[in-house]
Amino acid sequence: MADRMAGLWWYRTLYVLFAACLAFVQLLPLDPGPGQWPGPDLLLAITLSWTILRPSLLPVWLVAAVFLVTDLLLMRPPGLWTAFAVLGCEFLRSRRVLLRNAPFPIEWGLATSVITAMTVAHVLVLSIFAVPQPTFGLTVMRLVFTVMAYPVVVFLAGRAIGLVKASGSGETLGAGR
Amino acid sequence: MARQNGANEDYVRPIRRLAVSVLILCLFAVFLLWRIDSPRAERFRAQLVDWVVPNMDWAMVPVTETVNLVRGFQSYAALQRQNRELRDELQQMKAWKEAALQLEQENAKLLDLNKVRLDPALTVVTGQVLADSGSPFRQSVLLNVGGARDGIKDGWAVTDGLGLVGRISGVGDKSSRVLLLTDNTSRVPVTIQPSGQRAMLSGDNSILPVLEFIEDAEEVRPGDRVVSSGDGGVFPAGLLVGNVVQARDGRLRLRLTADYERLEFLRVLRSQTVDPIEAPAELIGPLLPVAQDVPEPEEATDG
Repeated sequence: MADRMAGLWWYRTLYVLFAACLAFVQLLPLDPGPGQWPGPDLLLAITLSWTILRPSLLPVWLVAAVFLVTDLLLMRPPGLWTAFAVLGCEFLRSRRVLLRNAPFPIEWGLATSVITAMTVAHVLVLSIFAVPQPTFGLTVMRLVFTVMAYPVVVFLAGRAIGLVKASGSGETLGAGR
Repeated sequence: MARQNGANEDYVRPIRRLAVSVLILCLFAVFLLWRIDSPRAERFRAQLVDWVVPNMDWAMVPVTETVNLVRGFQSYAALQRQNRELRDELQQMKAWKEAALQLEQENAKLLDLNKVRLDPALTVVTGQVLADSGSPFRQSVLLNVGGARDGIKDGWAVTDGLGLVGRISGVGDKSSRVLLLTDNTSRVPVTIQPSGQRAMLSGDNSILPVLEFIEDAEEVRPGDRVVSSGDGGVFPAGLLVGNVVQARDGRLRLRLTADYERLEFLRVLRSQTVDPIEAPAELIGPLLPVAQDVPEPEEATDG
């Protein structure tokens, strides 16, 4: 059990490190100014895929803290995207029984619908509160890129850091909180 | 552990759900707070960025320089062609330089004849770009000059030495954020030069911001020079912004003079606010003596 707890904390530290690296790369003043394509939201893809792979890995407070800090650093409206990320993770976690033995296409489809719902809700709330927004095309582009990046993130999680789905019923990691 | 969880689940689950709901409500509250009291929230954000980003400088500078070095090598291949083009361009430039020198001399002479004094209040602070906005949806950069050390204030104009780049929006102690003209929220009043038309330059996340509210669009031609108009008292008037182009969608847009590909060193113009004229004109005459001499010493002894 001690081993498992250590592994848990190792993955959590790794998650925070990934988030810091992503924010760092995005903040680099390489191409200031417009005209670049919005890349995938890798942090979201990592968060959702890790939540599906091991529901107990990323606790709610960690996701909330990481997203809130990136909200503040990357000039997003603070709090809103974080709230949707937490909601998305909670939704996936509540489907963990279904997801445990599901094949990958179903998992990907569910993740896609969660990302889409989050984006749509974000756009809706921002327009209700009359916050200036990026153009619709850019938002859709980012959504598509994020969905396409999802399998890559899952593949890399399996290959690079040994994070694979705990299938079957004997594994207790999936049943935690 | 699994068995323990199973036993605890009955009362852990509702508590957990409650905690998550409270957390989500708090996050929405943060968003609402930001929406209601935006200046204070943005000041907090500026402080956080001011605390984080200059500390990452030691890592950011080498990475940025390395990437730029690699890009430089890539463009090495095109050097031959570029060299030839540059030679041609240089020939043309020499002719222009000659014309400019003559004009400069003529201009200096005319200024001298007219006894024109340039505005001494317009001095500059030069800063280096520290970081990007980090999001493709937000067009801003972070400068390494700030409010405490360099006296930067919100709203000051920023140029790259040639053309307007944007304005200061958000000041920390050691850093300040420049909202670029291409940002969705950027609006700058401008004048279109030969015809004197007033317009509003509004960014829309593309490299060519839109000219809106032109009084008479018929009089504007592609290629016209556009300078800031100074309306609204935010920007000094007469800063070069760019040239008018007609975009493919038929709207009049602006090709910015500032080189947005290479925003490295930017100049912040210290602009003093112009006192607005509030009272109507008064009688012109000699100043009357004001009877203030008596009460002042008494106050001083009291204090």
